[in-house]
Amino acid sequence: MISDFPRAPLPLPDEAEVDSALAAHGGPAMVPADRRRTQFPVITKEDVFTMLLAQRQEPEKVVAGFTEAYRDYVGAGYALPTASGTASLHMALAGAGVRPGDEVIVPAFTFIATAQAVVAAHAVPVFVDIDPLTYCMDPAAAEAAVTERTAAVMPVHVHGLPADVPSLRRLASRRGLALVEDASHAHSARIGPHVAGSIGDAAGQSLMADKNFPLGGEGGMAFFATEEGYRRAVRHLREHGIDYRMSWVAAAFGSSQLGRLPYYDAVRARNAELLGDSLERTGLFTPPHVPEGWTHSYNMYRIGLRPEAVGLGDLDPHAVKAAVHELLVAEGVPAREWQNTPLPFHLPFRERSGFGRGYPFTLSPAGSREYTPEDFPNTLRMLDSTLVLCRELRAPVEYERILRYRDAFAKVAARPDAVRDLAARQEVPHPYERAARLG
Amino acid sequence: MELFDTAMVLTRVMTSGVVMSIEKSDRELPGLERLLTKRTKRSHAVLVNSRTAAVHAALAGQGIVHGDRIPGGSLSPETRAFVNWLGVETTGTGAPAFDEIALDAHVADSLPERAAEATAPAIVVDLTGLGFGPAAAVLTDDPTVWARAERLKIFGAHDLRTMWTQEESMPDLVPGVQFNYRLSPLVAACARMALMQTARKNVETGARL
Ligand SMILES: Cc1ncc(COP(=O)(O)O)c(C=O)c1O
Repeated sequence: MISDFPRAPLPLPDEAEVDSALAAHGGPAMVPADRRRTQFPVITKEDVFTMLLAQRQEPEKVVAGFTEAYRDYVGAGYALPTASGTASLHMALAGAGVRPGDEVIVPAFTFIATAQAVVAAHAVPVFVDIDPLTYCMDPAAAEAAVTERTAAVMPVHVHGLPADVPSLRRLASRRGLALVEDASHAHSARIGPHVAGSIGDAAGQSLMADKNFPLGGEGGMAFFATEEGYRRAVRHLREHGIDYRMSWVAAAFGSSQLGRLPYYDAVRARNAELLGDSLERTGLFTPPHVPEGWTHSYNMYRIGLRPEAVGLGDLDPHAVKAAVHELLVAEGVPAREWQNTPLPFHLPFRERSGFGRGYPFTLSPAGSREYTPEDFPNTLRMLDSTLVLCRELRAPVEYERILRYRDAFAKVAARPDAVRDLAARQEVPHPYERAARLG
Repeated sequence: MELFDTAMVLTRVMTSGVVMSIEKSDRELPGLERLLTKRTKRSHAVLVNSRTAAVHAALAGQGIVHGDRIPGGSLSPETRAFVNWLGVETTGTGAPAFDEIALDAHVADSLPERAAEATAPAIVVDLTGLGFGPAAAVLTDDPTVWARAERLKIFGAHDLRTMWTQEESMPDLVPGVQFNYRLSPLVAACARMALMQTARKNVETGARL
């Protein structure tokens, strides 16, 4: 039988290990090589039993039951289940009234699907920079990008922190734009009491199995504030013969996972807090910024670097980051670069062939706009000076594992000499000068 | 398909912990690909999450894009609407751009014969009727059709099972518009089971439901 049950437990942390030789120098790794797998999603007997029950129901009822339960959880007016997050974003845009040739303002830093969904809606993505603290769309940059062809702003709640929707809402009202959320990282994330997905005129959200709220494979959900928006999206599907339906197999899995989502959210919040407190004490590292009143869902956990705090201020930030990255990975902390190139420099947005012959980019002057890296200084600075934890914080990892991650950061931060040596030995290009990593 | 067999498949895959389509260790998607290529005697299969995704992949795979034209005679009104939405006109004449085969539990065993009759460069095989939600495949002998279709369904990436960079040795294979048309391993596992059963209808399944 192939099972995901872990073969062996992690040893409990030991303070002495923080002072041991770095793993990169031959010392013991904080997380041993054979214990690094982080299981996600967590699949329980409830998931299996719910799936077997679903087999005996009408498939449409399984999907509809799940959709209604999740719509209610999010607090959105209407919900449309889809086969993927990308499809849900396409539907959100269609429901929000985005038409061929319209411009939609999106952040330059997000997963490529955000902008591809705009193209799927036969509209033109217009890229703007992010806020340096939240890493979400900068409302001032969005405002500056509005033209008479702009139909919508589509902020992304990057990594699970809701974007500055209040400011963007004011902008949208002032300029007569639709506000469409990409809530793909932000399950259960909130601004005050309002759950991501229920805040905009419409929203799309990925529910693929590697998201905080995982379905049994691929899936997504589009949310609409009004019945009119919902109906417009449904009509769009019918008119164009598009099949974006969610499988009942994915939905059944979501039904049981939804019951446990608050539990997993609480574990993520607890682990994020534990790690954040100890990162603050390292000097070198900073935890994610969460504005007062905002609830982060920690789909990803972006860690900032402060080289100057440990006497490395004379080095290039991206060289420090590369060295720290290498040392952390050697310790068994799978820190990552998630996306290292602003979206306009990814191949499909450099070439802009779209559906073919440049459609829909040819429909709007914004479709031929040339971007330069200097258009996105905050994105570049973030890419140069931060690292991300993904599944390591998303999964409800064992307590001893989160403690060992904590200790690994402390161990590396205590060795600026090693960081300096490594940084001096390597010629490191800026992240955005390397291949555009999608994930 | 017998409920018991579906239950076994679903439980087996969920116990493995691998339910994600981009998981390196997934065996269900390649398993279904192998079965389909064998049954249709085509060299490549592209699994996708709906019939319309397969139509899109079959066209994009052949480089048929916005502004092009294909024969529309044999297409259903829905398919024609979808093809038009892609910007492809359906007023052309000549051989069809793709053949279509829709399978359900009753006709699933006809796949080999129907594939043998198909003449277009790509076959759209609709697996939705098997009962596990929207699912489909494009079958082709043309490696370029396959390579382009694979990249359409996963944001230009090379394949489903690698963490990817966009560093592309063949940039002209990368479609401009890209979707998430990925099929779920759980759905693929069930579809494969259903197709296998059609080949051994009389074998005891362990249940009399
Ligand atoms: C921000 C963002 N938007 C959209 C998507 C697309 O979702 P899906 O992969 O379900 O199509 C993702 C997915 O991974 C994402 O991270």
